[in-house]
Amino acid sequence: MSIMEYNGGSVIAMVGKNCVAVASDLRLGNQALTVATNFEKVFPITDRIYLGMSGLATDVTTLRETFRYRVNMYTIKEERDIEPEAFAHLVSSTLYERRFGPFFIEPVIAGLSKTSSGAFRPYIAGADLIGCLNFAKDFVVAGTASEKMFGVAEGLWEPDLEPEDLFETISQTLLNSVDRDAYSGWGAIVHVITPEQVITRTLKARMD
Amino acid sequence: MNTFIDRFSTTSAASQVRKLKEQEEDEFSDAAWGSEAGFGNLAKGIPSFSVPSVHDPTAFLRLHTDDHADPNCRIKIQHGTTTLAFRFQGGVIVAVDSRATAGSYIASGTVKKVIEINPYLLGTMAGGAADCQYWETYLGIQCRLHELRNRERISVAAASKYLSNLVYSYKGMGLSMGTMICGWDKTGPAVYYVDSDGTRLKGDLFSVGSGSTFAYGVLDQGYHWDLTDEEAQELGRRSIYAAGHRDAFSGNTCNLYHVKEDGWNFIGNFDISKMHYEGPGNVPGAPGTGYGYDVRVLGRNSSNPPPPEAAPAVAAHA
Amino acid sequence: MATDGGAYSYSLTVFSPSGKLVQIEHALAAVSQGTTSLGIKASNGIVIATEKKSSSILIDDSMIDKVSVICPNIGIVYSGMGPDFRVLVAKARKSAQAYWKMYGEYPPTKVLTQEIATVMQQATQSGGVRPYGVSLLVAGWDDNRGPSLYQVDPSGSYWAWKASAIGKNMINAKTFLEKRYNDDISLEDAIHTALLTLKEGFEGQMTEKTIEIGVVTVPSPAEIDAEKTAGPNVRPKPTFRKLSEEEVRDYLAL
Repeated sequence: MSIMEYNGGSVIAMVGKNCVAVASDLRLGNQALTVATNFEKVFPITDRIYLGMSGLATDVTTLRETFRYRVNMYTIKEERDIEPEAFAHLVSSTLYERRFGPFFIEPVIAGLSKTSSGAFRPYIAGADLIGCLNFAKDFVVAGTASEKMFGVAEGLWEPDLEPEDLFETISQTLLNSVDRDAYSGWGAIVHVITPEQVITRTLKARMD
Repeated sequence: MNTFIDRFSTTSAASQVRKLKEQEEDEFSDAAWGSEAGFGNLAKGIPSFSVPSVHDPTAFLRLHTDDHADPNCRIKIQHGTTTLAFRFQGGVIVAVDSRATAGSYIASGTVKKVIEINPYLLGTMAGGAADCQYWETYLGIQCRLHELRNRERISVAAASKYLSNLVYSYKGMGLSMGTMICGWDKTGPAVYYVDSDGTRLKGDLFSVGSGSTFAYGVLDQGYHWDLTDEEAQELGRRSIYAAGHRDAFSGNTCNLYHVKEDGWNFIGNFDISKMHYEGPGNVPGAPGTGYGYDVRVLGRNSSNPPPPEAAPAVAAHA
Repeated sequence: MATDGGAYSYSLTVFSPSGKLVQIEHALAAVSQGTTSLGIKASNGIVIATEKKSSSILIDDSMIDKVSVICPNIGIVYSGMGPDFRVLVAKARKSAQAYWKMYGEYPPTKVLTQEIATVMQQATQSGGVRPYGVSLLVAGWDDNRGPSLYQVDPSGSYWAWKASAIGKNMINAKTFLEKRYNDDISLEDAIHTALLTLKEGFEGQMTEKTIEIGVVTVPSPAEIDAEKTAGPNVRPKPTFRKLSEEEVRDYLAL
């Protein structure tokens, strides 16, 4: 029994043209038993950064609060919102603090980074459970369906997708991947982050 | 004349060929002959399989196939499943899911887990897919031979006992089967549970597989002997849905069978996700709505309020 | 931070009946005996400068460092007690590196100033320690606030300045700066103003050996963006640097 698969669940993030998308399934399991179908794994950090976590559910909730605390302290101290680059490092540092007794989660970070001209640049990153960052230019995946998502995303993703097309791409990637994974699925939620707004939609998915 | 000599000579070319052929037959199991569909050695009685050539084949096989002893180095066999069968006034209901998993990977969603042994006998499949398929097909052959020999159909009791004895002879060698042998014989509807440990149980109601607990929950709540055919079919379907919904290793579709006095009937194949949202469709006994909890309680409590179209028109304009 | 001297290590800094912390006043007295330092914020950067005075001609003054780099975007200068400054520099550098380790970037000037101010405040309330005998001028550039100049005092209080002076000649120097300062002064002009200000009340010869200068420059938008996308294997281009003796000599010659 792998502790990373104890509760099941998957998250994914993708880069689009001037936007990013991040999505998760909604299952909370106890090994084979599906306990809940409303367990979101993606959380807002700032108006422009979302953090997804897959893995052990208790660590997902604990770290959500840890990051809320640390980002709030940052915002108060620095009198500004944290940028995706700094937040990714914060996630990495926080995870590495527990190098020899890790949190059993894999994070996925998606956000828009402010450039000096005032425009926004899409930013995504993933990491392993002890904080080794992976800065991808296309997509990052994590969770029990990660292998399947790699495969599907490799086939569906293309550069410079507009928000609506990116939504369709990430949704289809997630839904079709979790349908081949016993531990993920039972509903899904997608966030598309654009400079103007964040579009959040829940998806109708297979419930078995 | 020459041929006669050839046949009994120990030195002629023909005898050399004959000897070679005999050797071959000794070395290779008849089961390897494709034209005989793996059942080529039936004439010798119980089929024989080559076992690992070690001192203690049972211990060897337990080491490499028994997933309880060592989950890491095992020959992967299909485990997640939900199957059920129950006896009632109108015959036997057999319902199964159709998911096959290899680890957490859903290898197939269209597996036939009901094995049609003959027009009066059904076997269900849980555990090793190949084991179930092979031995239940083999059981079908033996049942037919019984019919030919005795001029009457084999009883469900006898058929299930044949299978039970058979798998018992391979005990400890890695066979994995949890099956229900269902049918109708002189005694009426009958269900037997047989597994690879050698267990054989007669009963009214069984469910086997990783999702069996969920199926039992629905089954026990809705079961009684006097169920109508429609009610019984709906109960079987609804039970498999519950297992498919809650159990990660069960799902995709439900195959439903009904065994009556004149043999079994295939009722249909039902998508479990479709049952969640919309129900099983226009079939006898269907409730007309989805089985899903959210669907059933929609608009009936404060945390799940009525859909917006039900709200007053004034609110819609605001 | 104070070393733990046990339950009976009372703070030496205690209130006088009139509500003053006399130890802090004494520390400020130590600062006002120190050599003059000053800082000027210009439209496109900051200059911090100080007088470097050695008590004997036998001292190798190339060893003395009064303007210190904390991290690639921040430098500080002090007036007061040299050894106390050295300790604060070590703590500030450590703090900047800890911040980098956590966030992958160096701290904004304000955050680092607060860190130093916290250390200095702690020394006014802890058992077995005395306040730091220095005032600091912290100059730095960051993405968020651009160039900024702070002064930190032994009490741990800090303010942002457009221009300020600390040390022996601070009253005169501040009056001088008030007259010469305007909001759109360029960095070059600010450096000259700094030298002129130091000249007031300077004892002895002003040379590249007796003057130390540090400057903050503002990177271009292109440089800022390049930095962000550069990745972890590229060292950030410093925005704070100390002027070399040659550069100081050139400025003095003008």
